[in-house]
Formats: sequence, structure tokens, C-alpha cells
Amino acid sequence: MRLDSPAADRVTALVLFLLGGAATYGGFVMDRLENRQIHPASIPGLVPMILGVMLMVCAAALAWSAARPREGNGAAETVSWSRFGVTLFWCALYALAAVGQLPFAPATAIFIAGFTLWFIWTESDRAARPGLATVLAVLAFSGATAFGVAALFRYGFLVRLP
Amino acid sequence: MDGLAQFVIAIGHLATPESLFHVAWATLLGIIVGALPGLTATMGVALLTTLTYSLDRDAAILSLICMYVGAIYGGSRSAILLNIPGTPASAATTLDGYPLARQGKAAYAMGLATAGSALGTLVGILLLVLIAPPLAEIALDFGSFEFFWLAVFGIVISGQLAGGLSPLKGYIAGILGLLVAMVGSDGIHAHVRFTLGVDALNGGIGLIPAMVGAFGFAEVLTVMWRGKAALVSGLLGSDRTIPRLLDLWRYKFTIARSGIIGTLVGIIPGVGEDIGAWGSYAIAKKFSKERDQFGKGSMEGLTAAETGNSAVVPGALIPALTLAVPGSAPAAVLIAALFIHGIRPGPMIMLEAPDFVYLVAAMLFFATIAITIYGLTLTRLFVLVLKVPREWLMPVIFVLCVIGPYALTQRIFEIWVMFAFGLIGFVLRQMNYPMAPLVLGIILGDLLDKSLRRGLTLSNGELDPFFTRPISAVFAAIVILSIVAGMPPVRRLAGRMFGSGMRREVER
Repeated sequence: MRLDSPAADRVTALVLFLLGGAATYGGFVMDRLENRQIHPASIPGLVPMILGVMLMVCAAALAWSAARPREGNGAAETVSWSRFGVTLFWCALYALAAVGQLPFAPATAIFIAGFTLWFIWTESDRAARPGLATVLAVLAFSGATAFGVAALFRYGFLVRLP
Repeated sequence: MDGLAQFVIAIGHLATPESLFHVAWATLLGIIVGALPGLTATMGVALLTTLTYSLDRDAAILSLICMYVGAIYGGSRSAILLNIPGTPASAATTLDGYPLARQGKAAYAMGLATAGSALGTLVGILLLVLIAPPLAEIALDFGSFEFFWLAVFGIVISGQLAGGLSPLKGYIAGILGLLVAMVGSDGIHAHVRFTLGVDALNGGIGLIPAMVGAFGFAEVLTVMWRGKAALVSGLLGSDRTIPRLLDLWRYKFTIARSGIIGTLVGIIPGVGEDIGAWGSYAIAKKFSKERDQFGKGSMEGLTAAETGNSAVVPGALIPALTLAVPGSAPAAVLIAALFIHGIRPGPMIMLEAPDFVYLVAAMLFFATIAITIYGLTLTRLFVLVLKVPREWLMPVIFVLCVIGPYALTQRIFEIWVMFAFGLIGFVLRQMNYPMAPLVLGIILGDLLDKSLRRGLTLSNGELDPFFTRPISAVFAAIVILSIVAGMPPVRRLAGRMFGSGMRREVER
């Protein structure tokens, strides 16, 4: 399913409708702070309720428009979901698992080297695989970048690195 | 005249070696960020905000403004050489820039784009100096009722224009942004909302992590997802870079008109540089004697697009400074940066920091000089920049996306927020939801929430003042008319009456 297709819009409309309903309900049951004797028009749930209803209306309109025939979306772009998946995997591994568990500079060096080498390797022809010189260049680049960024934030901006 | 005198004084204030050093590196970095497809001005400004915490106020804001101006201008490099806009602002530039490059006039096209950008920014600076102070004075009369409508106006107009052919998606993006702003302590009673028991959300979702995710990480994913672009090579050496004065004089009306259109588009909340470029291009085509050349390598078309998008930058700063309502997505980040550095944008700015508006105009002026110098002298360097492989560049960008938001509060939670917004931003963008209304919603959510509830408290629950006070009535009328005009049956009717929309007019 393409992300810019009517089918995707229908699924999104359902998700947005549920989100709008949740915001409306959340605003309705939110504490009205009666014990603090606030003005009833200034209850904290007022705007979330309004926004929730508006989102539900827009979601219904989106579902309605997705059901109508539309003009073509033009030529499909050349995209690669496998490249996307690998990028997401490496980024998630680094941001959600490595940072905070490993010292920042080594984690960063491993991430940059792994990311770069993976794509250089998989996108090169079998006959022209990257040689030792390329690998060493990537390792030097990732190490220098990682320790450079770490030093900049630690000593330049006085940040306690994760 | 007093404003212009203050502007000249501000230029003198900034003419120090230290300031010029910041102008030099930040503008060059901005051009490089803008030139690389996938890296946007918003991302550049957001990431640089995290790198300028430790600078003093003027140096930090100067660097950010130079990054903003440089990135918007830099987008023209890849638009001309790759047929891919480096930033969305340069989409209209591709229409004539790339055909010119294929005709062997890439260097001259880049020179012309440089001149157009510089002149557009100068027109915008002039209007900034003239419009911002009286606008701030008018805004001093705004009360809760007016600020409520101002926030609604921003979301609706931004959704309408940034959504293009689907304003509904623009409205949805705006509402989602407003809902994001509802998370955390509310602005009146400090009641904690929608945190789902997560203590780290009590203070709300930070704008910088959200922006870095939505514009930085989402861009990394998008760039790696898409195929590589083909560079037009070997076409630089045969032509001059410095535009002929005759060409600029021939397009003087186009430059002036595009500069004014760009600035006015910039003033409209959350609309942005791309609309400024498309609008200027469409109007230039309509009035041009060489309209049949548009889309085939028209120098006038290229000049109009570049003048229009660059003029949006000063325009977008007018409401950002005087109303705290950003005219574009990068201006939204700049507002956050202003708060970080102790400047409170809004109607009080002319009372609390009256010189600051002129200082910003002077910063824009220095950035303009820098893009002119770089643009006319470093053409070949920018071609080299476009050859940097994405698999080397993107992990470095992502590292900055991770460490930048973390550095703000030194909490790992900010990295998670960045990551979540990156994924959401990627999906929404592929589904054609514009990002500008989302950002504007996050910025304006607190203002809308507080203004509505304060207004209702003042009127004892009555809605009348929201519709009967003069400024409120004008805002309300514009908002209602905009929503009605965005409805599909009305759009179809208008389309039959006036022809197709702006972009179709351009493409025809």
C-alpha cells in the first residue's frame, strides 16, 4: 500500500478519528479543578475537547474525500524500503540502545562506521567491492567524527555526555 | 526614517571582527546545508540552535539567521545542478535553473540566482524595518480575544496554503500540532494533561527535539529511502558567474515585485519560502513578455523564484518578532532560540528590546552580503559539496540529531522524543501532510489555549467579544472565509471560474 494512496488515507482517517475521540474523552473527564474554584470556562480540558472534535470532523472529511475518485499521483518515485529498513535499524540501535549504555564517543564511532560500511558494501558491484583502503578511510572518518563531536559538546558546550 | 537610521546604527554595532567571523562560518555552513538535497533550512537552524547555547545572545542569533539565509539560498545549487531542490524553497528554481544548466549556463544561472536571492532579501529587510515596529505597536492593543484568533488564523492559513491541493491535510497537521502542545502542564492552572503517567512529559514536549526529529531524522530516513540523483557535470567552465547588470536591470520590476510578494507571503503565519517562490514565479510568468520561455530556461523565471523565496526570510521574521507567531518553519525554531537566549518575542519587544528588531535586520544584511560573496566566488566548491556520498553524510547528521536535543536538557528522554517525531514526520510527509502547520500548531498551542480560556473567563463564558471586537471580527471573517474557500465544492467552483490553481498555472 502506497503511503499517498486513498487506501492509506482511509486507514489514517480511522486512526485520526480514534485519536480525536480519545482527546475529546480525555478532555471531558479531565479534572475540572472545582476544589480550586476556577471559572468553569477555564477548565483545562476545554481546548483538548474542542481539538478532539475538530480532529474527528477532519478525519470524517478525509475518509469521505478518500472514497472519491482523484487525479493520478504522477510517476512513482524510485524508493527502496530495504534501504529505509536498514537505516531505521541502525538509527534505532544507536539512539535507543547504544546511547546511554555505551560511552558516547565509541558508540558514535561504531554507528557511523557500521552505517557507512553497510551501504558502501551493499550498494557496490560484486566485482568492485570496497578495498582495504576504503575500509580504513571509513574507520578513520568515523573515529575522527565521533571523538570530534564528543569533544565539542563535552569541552566546548560543557555537556555531560550520555 | 527613524527606523532606517536605527538600522544603520545596528549595522555599525555588528561590524566587528567577531561578528563577521560568525557571519562567515554560519552562512557558509547554511549554504552547504541548503545545497545538500534532503537537508532543509529548518533542520539546519534547529541543529545549529543546539550548537549555539554557549554563545552570547547576539552571536547566537546572528549565526542562526546566517544559517537560515544561507540555507534558503543554498537550495538553488542542487536545484540548478541536480534538478532536485536542496530545500523545498527552491522547488520553483528547478523549473528554469536545470534547463539553463543543461544549456551549459549553470554557472551563470547560479550567479543570477545569487543576485536574485540577495536583492530579494534586501527588499525584505527594507520592509522588515518599515513594517515590524508599527505592527508591534498595533499588537499592543491585542487582548486574549485577538490572540486567540491570531493563533487560529495562523493554523488555518498555514494549513490552507501549505496543504496545497489538499488543505484538509494542512488543517489536520495543524490540529495534530495543537494537540502535541496540549501535553504537559497547562499555561493557566499548571494542571498536567495527557502525560500518560510519564513524569518526563510534565513540562510538555520540547520544540527543539520535536523539530530536530521531524526535520532532521525524517530527512535522514527520506534521503536514504530515495534513489540517488544525477549531477549535471562539466557545464560550469564555459560561462561567466557574475550576472550582467543589463540582465538585472531588464528584470527590475520582476525583482521588486517578487521581493514584495515574498515578504508578504513571509508575513502570513507558517506559510514559508516555497509558497513565496511559487507565488512570485506564477505572477512573473503572467506579466512576462517571454512567458513562453518559462520552464525551458528563462532567466526571468529563475530570478523571480529565487527573489521570492529569499524575500520570505525577512518577511517571516516580522510576525515572529512582533507577534511571536512564526512566518515559516525555520522562523519557528528561531523563536525557540530567542527564548533560550533571553529575548521574548511578541508585542512587548519594541518596549523591552526596541533595538533588537533593527539588529535582526542588520544580521540579515550581513548574511546577504555573505551569500553574495560566496555565491559569486565559490561556485566550484558547491559542486564538490553535492558530490559528498549520502552514506557518509547521513550518519553524521543523525549523530547531531541525537546529541543536539540531549544537550539542551541532558535527558535521554529528549532523544526518544526526537526519534518518535522523526518517524511520525517521515510517515506524515510521505502521506502529503505539510510539516509547517504541525510546527506552527506546537508553537501556537499554548497561546491558543490560554487566550481562549482567559477570554472566556473575562467575558464570563460569553462568546460575543470573540466576534464583536473590531480586530477579532476581521480575524474571524478571514478564518471563516478561508475555511469555506478550502472546501472541495467551493474550490471546484472557483477553479472553473478562475482556472486552475497557482502551481498548475505555473506548470501550464
